[in-house]
Amino acid sequence: MRRRSFLTFSDVVVSNLKRRPFRSFCLISLVAVLAFVLFGGSLITCSLINGTDGLAKRLGADILIVPKGYDKMVEGILLRGEPSTFYMSADWIGKISQIEGVRSVSPHLFVASLSAECCSVPIQLIGFDQKTDFIVTPWLRTSLPGELGDDEIVIGGSVSGKVGSELMFFDRGYRIAAKMENTGTGFDSSVFMTMKAARRAAGDYVSMGGTFSPPEESISSVVVLIEEGFTAVGMTRKINSTFGYGKSGIVVVPTRTIIGSVSGGLRAMTAFTVILVVILWVLSVLVLTIVFSVTLNERKQEFGILRSLGITRKKLIALVFLESGAISFTGAAAGVFLSALLVFPFRTYIQETIGMPYMQPSFEKMLAIAAASLILSFATGPLASLFSSSKMGNSDAYVVIRDGGL
Amino acid sequence: MILEAREIKKQYHRDNILFSAVNDVSLSIGEGEFVCIVGRSGSGKSTLLNILAGLLTPTSGSVSFEGREYGGMNDGELSRLRNTRLGYIMQGHNVLSNFTVLQNVLLPHIFFKRDDDPTDRALSLLEQVGLRPLASQYPSSLSGGELHRVSIARALLMSPGLLIADEPTGDLDEETVSEIMGLFAGIVSKGTAVLMVTHNSDAASYADRMYTMQSGRLSEM
Ligand SMILES: Nc1ncnc2c1ncn2[C@@H]1O[C@H](COP(=O)(O)OP(=O)(O)O)[C@@H](O)[C@H]1O
Ligand SMILES: [Mg+2]
Repeated sequence: MRRRSFLTFSDVVVSNLKRRPFRSFCLISLVAVLAFVLFGGSLITCSLINGTDGLAKRLGADILIVPKGYDKMVEGILLRGEPSTFYMSADWIGKISQIEGVRSVSPHLFVASLSAECCSVPIQLIGFDQKTDFIVTPWLRTSLPGELGDDEIVIGGSVSGKVGSELMFFDRGYRIAAKMENTGTGFDSSVFMTMKAARRAAGDYVSMGGTFSPPEESISSVVVLIEEGFTAVGMTRKINSTFGYGKSGIVVVPTRTIIGSVSGGLRAMTAFTVILVVILWVLSVLVLTIVFSVTLNERKQEFGILRSLGITRKKLIALVFLESGAISFTGAAAGVFLSALLVFPFRTYIQETIGMPYMQPSFEKMLAIAAASLILSFATGPLASLFSSSKMGNSDAYVVIRDGGL
Repeated sequence: MILEAREIKKQYHRDNILFSAVNDVSLSIGEGEFVCIVGRSGSGKSTLLNILAGLLTPTSGSVSFEGREYGGMNDGELSRLRNTRLGYIMQGHNVLSNFTVLQNVLLPHIFFKRDDDPTDRALSLLEQVGLRPLASQYPSSLSGGELHRVSIARALLMSPGLLIADEPTGDLDEETVSEIMGLFAGIVSKGTAVLMVTHNSDAASYADRMYTMQSGRLSEM
């Protein structure tokens, strides 16, 4: 092994950065902020786009029918899993399925669990009919062995609990029979049980002092799939006219309207992120350019000395680029790292705060986003020293010291 | 001849009028010679040395080092020449403050790909200029004379054939000046040619030849 010499070219780079620790720290921080926003913003935006994309497909229904006045709440349940409780007559299942163009109908019964001691988690309990269901079954991670018992539940992808273990709702234990995949909808934080079990849970709730109980033979909503050749909007109009719009006591909601309200917010957010990132990027390049060209003047003498000792013009320019590159790379890496440190553990919190369907992209895609953020932030450094290096390159007089009283 | 300059002229604009900072200078230095230039401030000495070191291109005239014309060399070749064959000590303090004394002396070694370790040579050069105990100090703790000696050791690291020094005795006390002059005399005695700009009156007693510079013109004394 060769003995490591006392000095290498990279030592010169590092030493120059250490010489002005405050300056280096500020510039690194600036690039770090850029990388932080770039990676964090892109990842969150991507997760939201991912969550909204094909949301209709993942919701699994074309049309939802709920009691009049509750259409806003449905959005909360479907998108965010916000617990709520409302009821209508079970007769509607039959009435809707009669209509031409309706392929399948399945009822849901909502019961909100409490954050009190009786329940493991405050969550939306959803009674579903396993025979007609087309919402839960396609998302099961492990198939159900057979019919779901009344003391068994299926939990959403982000509800914590292992298959085989128990959760408590209103002092009653339920065995987890299956777990669903993440769908990026409110179903992820919902618990599904048989209609009978849900009705019993509502009764448990009342016997514990709850005030609101579903009438016998009631349901909360009907999810509808339509036949090919019919549109959701057309079917909505048809159902409304069949039962008398406004008088029927129900609201018909095409799932796409819910998604529409989501993607409007998403567009605004994406635009905001893009603008913020562009401003930060331009600002970084600008600030770095100014700082580098100011220090270039200070460094005339230093460069003159290096030239007198035989450094080539190319290597001198390489030195300038390496220094700026080291600054922007350190900043970029730190920013992406810190961003990842925040965005990953707090994703549930972010999701709740934004209140939109949120689904992290695949690992490969996240890696690509990280790489792109790293490269874009890193590029600010070399780009900013383009200006000063071009000033340096064309004249030698520039690096030769004039004798002022040194 | 190690260095040969023919009819060098360097013109600058001053208040829109062309003037010659260096005017028609010819100079030859043989191997192992000790040549000194004296002259008032502003007479063009530093400009001439920058041209002789290949850092500045003359308006007209030619310079050749060990038989090779500067005009025919590219930046890489000229830089390598300055790095290995021609030690140039610029005017003023030219020690980099963010490196130790030893690191400063090692600097010329890193500008081209090299496989040897120059540390021992650097340390023995520091010994030679009497700075061995200060090797790991930073320049801020050194006196003016010590800083000059660091640049001398550094210029010698790659064993050049010619050492060009621009006022290496400037702003120093008399005792330190004669120390430094003695140092250069020692370098010459080991076979390295020296071209030096100085205001020191003792220079004449060391130099093989003396020149004086006046308004860009060089004449032998
Ligand atoms: N790059 C330059 N542009 C214009 N004038 C210059 C430049 N460099 C030197 N000069 C002028 O040339 C003259 C000689 O300068 P210099 O060689 O530094 O003198 P000395 O080293 O003898 O003091 C001075 O008048 C100086 O102002
Ligand atoms: Mg001078």
